[in-house]
Amino acid sequence: MGANDLGLLSLVSLLIFIFPILIINIRLKLGVNKTLVISVVRMCLQLSFVGIYLEFLFKYDSKLLNVAYLLIMILIACHAIIRSTKLKIRKFFFPIFLSILIPFSTLLFFFNFVLVRIDNPFEAKYLIPIGGMLLGNSMKSNIICLNNFFSGIKKDEKIYFFSLTLLGSRIQALKPYLKKSILASMTPILASMATIGLVSLPGMLTGQILGGSIPLVAIKYQIAIMLSIFYTDYFSTLLSLLFSVKFGFNEFDVLKKDIFNSEV
Amino acid sequence: MYLKRDTKKNFSNLNFWVQENEKVLISGKSGIGKSTLFKVLLGFETVDRGSVLFNKYKIAKEHIKTIRQQIFYLSQDIDLQNEKLKNLLDQIFEQNLNKNRIDQLTELLSLLELNNKILEQTTNELSGGERQRIGLLICFILNRPVWLLDEPTSALDNTMKKKIADYVLKQDKTVVIISHDAVWTAANKIKIERW
Repeated sequence: MGANDLGLLSLVSLLIFIFPILIINIRLKLGVNKTLVISVVRMCLQLSFVGIYLEFLFKYDSKLLNVAYLLIMILIACHAIIRSTKLKIRKFFFPIFLSILIPFSTLLFFFNFVLVRIDNPFEAKYLIPIGGMLLGNSMKSNIICLNNFFSGIKKDEKIYFFSLTLLGSRIQALKPYLKKSILASMTPILASMATIGLVSLPGMLTGQILGGSIPLVAIKYQIAIMLSIFYTDYFSTLLSLLFSVKFGFNEFDVLKKDIFNSEV
Repeated sequence: MYLKRDTKKNFSNLNFWVQENEKVLISGKSGIGKSTLFKVLLGFETVDRGSVLFNKYKIAKEHIKTIRQQIFYLSQDIDLQNEKLKNLLDQIFEQNLNKNRIDQLTELLSLLELNNKILEQTTNELSGGERQRIGLLICFILNRPVWLLDEPTSALDNTMKKKIADYVLKQDKTVVIISHDAVWTAANKIKIERW
């Protein structure tokens, strides 16, 4: 049993509701309509493409292709993290790539091998959606974490210098900033774990129920995925922070200015 | 030494040395790089040409930790983390908070006319003068051999300025002070460098 298919026309009919929104926005002079239309169009186009190549991936279900697809997803996530944190790609791509790859692949294979115990851990049906969920979340956490860390140090450069002379070591002087950025990156996932099910049913659960799974199975998957997301987030942000501490500072423990794209 | 930043020349052909236990006052217009000199000594800025030595050691990666451990640097704004002072002091003296230090803390609090309760406050709750005195308190307790003090008395009243100057100048320490306060020169115990 699967969910009822949606007709293309009925899907398009959902766009009716966008018109009153556009009109209200014009009246309120929000100046957001252009962005809104672009976002909606992008979402539709991007998801349509995903639909097409997921069909393709699922049909062929080749180990190599699936892994290659995951790698591309990781590369795109790294690129997005580095762009959002205004770091230089050349200097930070590899460290961030490793920070994502290590916890991500560990958790993904644990999920597929140990938890779901599928015969082929590279099966597209599991690998791609679960991988996508882990990756999307760890991308968000990394952006929050690194932005927080670097902007904290930049803003507080003098305080950091003073701490450095008082406490003697880079890691000691960086402690408050590390602490703050780890907490900031953890807050969303902790809040979402604490309220999940009470406020809204998460996407995966909804999807599975619509796809015909019994709720209990869907719930177990949801618990497993939430924990896996949390672990991947935690370890990938921790690793990218460690790499930032290692590569972001010069031999005198001063934050390197040339690791950022724009002048700070 | 030479140092140039963003088209502004901070030092050009600067020759400057300080003997052990000497007290030196650097005075001059603001913006000519007095504070930058301190940053160079601590490795936060590097000079374009020339060399900077600390006890015969070049300011270099392999010595910077040892050098920083010998220096107490008090910046103009006393840039402490915004935390409860008690926690900050605990952190700073983590390895060395013994009974001696606690006795000394009480003694110095009274010298600086600070109430014990101030330790329960956070850095941002302090007034300019209190911040400065807390900065000096840390300096005195840490007891490092070299003190670099950037405008250490600017926010204090005249009696306190004098008290601090007397205390600092009688210590067996190497002290370099940047200040516009006349109180430092009054006792003729300090070498004056005009830039």
